[in-house]
Amino acid sequence: MPYLSVKEVTKKYQEFNMSLSFEAEKGELVCILGPSGGGKSTLLSLLSGIENPDSGDITIDGNSITRLPIHQRGIGMVFQDFSLFPSMNTGENIEYGMRIKSRKERKEKAKELLSLVGLPGYEKRKVTELSGGEAQRVALARAIASEPQILLLDEPLSALDAPLRKKLRGAIRAIHDATGTTMLYVTHDREEAFAIADRILIMKDGRNVAYGTPEDLYRNPPDLFTAFFTGEGTALPCTLLYGEGKEGYIFFRPESVTVSEEMLDGGLYPNHLVMNNVEVRSAEYTGPGYVLGLWFKGLPIIAFSPLKPKKRYISLMIMVDALIKVQS
Amino acid sequence: MALKTLLDSYTWRLLGFTVYQAFLSAIISVSLALPFALFFSHYSFFGRKAILTMCDTAFALPSILAVLGFVVWYGNNGILNSILISLGLVEKPIKFLFSFPSVILAHVYLNFPVALSLLTSALSNMDEKEEMASRTLGKGRLKTFFSTTLPKIRGTLLSSFLLIFLFCFPSFLIVMSLGGSPKYYTIEAEIYRRTYTDVNTVSSSSLALFSFCIMALLILFTGYGREEKRSSRARRAIRKTKGLKSLEAFILSLLILLFILPPILSILYRAFFTKDGSFTLKAWNDIISKAPTGAGTGLSAIINSIVIALTSSLTAVSLSSAIAISSVRRKSRIVPLLTSLPMAAGSVSLGLGFSFLASSIRGKTLLLSYILVMLAHLVTVMPFAIRTMMPGAKRIPLRLEYASMSLGKSQYYTYRKIDRPMLSPYRRRAFAFAFALSMGEVNATMALAEGKVTTLPILIYKMINQYNYQGASALALLLLILAITVFSIGEREEKNAIS
Repeated sequence: MPYLSVKEVTKKYQEFNMSLSFEAEKGELVCILGPSGGGKSTLLSLLSGIENPDSGDITIDGNSITRLPIHQRGIGMVFQDFSLFPSMNTGENIEYGMRIKSRKERKEKAKELLSLVGLPGYEKRKVTELSGGEAQRVALARAIASEPQILLLDEPLSALDAPLRKKLRGAIRAIHDATGTTMLYVTHDREEAFAIADRILIMKDGRNVAYGTPEDLYRNPPDLFTAFFTGEGTALPCTLLYGEGKEGYIFFRPESVTVSEEMLDGGLYPNHLVMNNVEVRSAEYTGPGYVLGLWFKGLPIIAFSPLKPKKRYISLMIMVDALIKVQS
Repeated sequence: MALKTLLDSYTWRLLGFTVYQAFLSAIISVSLALPFALFFSHYSFFGRKAILTMCDTAFALPSILAVLGFVVWYGNNGILNSILISLGLVEKPIKFLFSFPSVILAHVYLNFPVALSLLTSALSNMDEKEEMASRTLGKGRLKTFFSTTLPKIRGTLLSSFLLIFLFCFPSFLIVMSLGGSPKYYTIEAEIYRRTYTDVNTVSSSSLALFSFCIMALLILFTGYGREEKRSSRARRAIRKTKGLKSLEAFILSLLILLFILPPILSILYRAFFTKDGSFTLKAWNDIISKAPTGAGTGLSAIINSIVIALTSSLTAVSLSSAIAISSVRRKSRIVPLLTSLPMAAGSVSLGLGFSFLASSIRGKTLLLSYILVMLAHLVTVMPFAIRTMMPGAKRIPLRLEYASMSLGKSQYYTYRKIDRPMLSPYRRRAFAFAFALSMGEVNATMALAEGKVTTLPILIYKMINQYNYQGASALALLLLILAITVFSIGEREEKNAIS
């Protein structure tokens, strides 16, 4: 039985309908990824109890929490803007939600948690004087201190700058591994989700579009939206490659493409898709190589090549195994 | 009979005069303040801050002090006349008080600083990009003022005007003390007269109801309870004055000081000096020992005032912070509007209402009178407490409450531990404001308790009527110090910023 279960939960707004089911195991770190307006925040509101669903059921460990008020759900939250309590210092913020009665033990625990999030000795600091990164670490410690059944993180890193984001996402993963807390992590940043998630739930228009491990979603996206949302690639209609009457698209990643400056004879490469007379329109250097903007029979193709092609027209071949058939 | 009162042509004449004097007071206050505000928001100079602080404090100035200050300074035997005669400028004292102009001047005296303070802060919060643009497009100063500045501050001008209009509409104390003739009675004063002189409660009640309806309509239509738009963050650069501008600054400051200070300083002077100019502490001895009117000693009035002000303002603070938080949470517009309705009832009408309530309760004790006065004060100060609290409540991000509740805390616990501490600067300000207002409250107290509960301003009023200006001045000085001290404690800078 799954630890968290969201069963056919619906919520209607004027211009947005949510209808969602998914499950998560205990101790998992699930990223919820999707474009803005896709329903990520609505999902968090429904899980935390800020909003109630129109129908459906949410259970944790088999117990329904759908109709419980916020403070009885055992769901912790970490917000984008940290939301620390300005009237308390750092230690008091962390102790706020603890269930431990003894004052001394609470202090001990706060100390421990501050070390865990990499801020030892910060108990007496004013929260208004913390940097963004520090504030988010404190918010994390505060949420974990209340021992939530599930911890929701609502774009916890978007208010921080890029280098700090990378550092802190590693810290969040480490804290997850150290505490075993089940986490739902909302983000619109694919790279972030790939870096830390056990599984990724992709949401679009209030629906569960795809759900799986990052590797799985990258290699076998169920549809074009997921394919493009999880990374770069090219989609070519089947009609172009296999003739009339074939439905759907062929999708492949840039790194699956092998570039050749010589014409290739398809017959010599039975396990490959071969394309000749592909026009090179751009070549962007990325460090490991070049991302090529190509043009084939009026359609754009994106390919990765370690070398910069010298000719204007080149040939491509792609392993058949790397081709993904998707419906639009 | 009630209907007859309303259809009376006298009632309409009364309404006409009430509107006329409020309109005149407000328009004069605002248009006098505008040029000063334009200068004050452009230039920094020596004394600018002091004058603005003084104007802020004018919010807390009890109107009884204006009355006393006017009597002592502008009176026929007042200090101004003594000075003029001794300088040989006039032979006979100028008779200025107890006339229509003196009523208007007293209103302007109380409200000019308010208008100046509101306009200056609004103007200082506007950047001057449009003005610069207009000037670079070749428009002159005057043209620029009318085409860009004036439209920008129209809202502030209007809201300042309305604030003062609503303050002067139910004017009672000033009209009664400085008007000198029933010709210059406002509706509120007439309500008092009918109740206590004619003892005709039906006609006074219907008049009170009539006045309430008109004020309520005014408040609803003008959306006085509505919040002002937040001005842009970019404040304008304030330049230091140089050369001629410094002189201009000096003259403008002097004009303001000459208008505001003499009546207050006269009170200070008369508290220690007799009319002939010899020093005495008699008034101060009397405060402790003598009961000047048979209404209890000065000391007991002071204690009464402090106890009533403390209880009513503390209650107002706890009620208003809970109301502000819950109405912001529920995005309710009705609650703040409802709580500003007591403003529609003039305080005399309010006192009257409470005294009717009292007469329906059998076995009247002194304690009951105290409780009723306290309640009347509470209702009077509530709208101001809520208005002070609302912006604070709006500044608390909803996420903080969610954060607290997601940490397993109930809504009430969240209110106590998170919202209330964050409101504390606003609570302090609301308390100080409410305390100062309650300390200066005359109308409701007078209409309600008929001398059973003598507060400090009531005692001052009685002493003025007995021409005991020295005793009144001593008490007024105490009242001034109390009100201003508490008020300025509330105006201190806030500590808790929101991260």
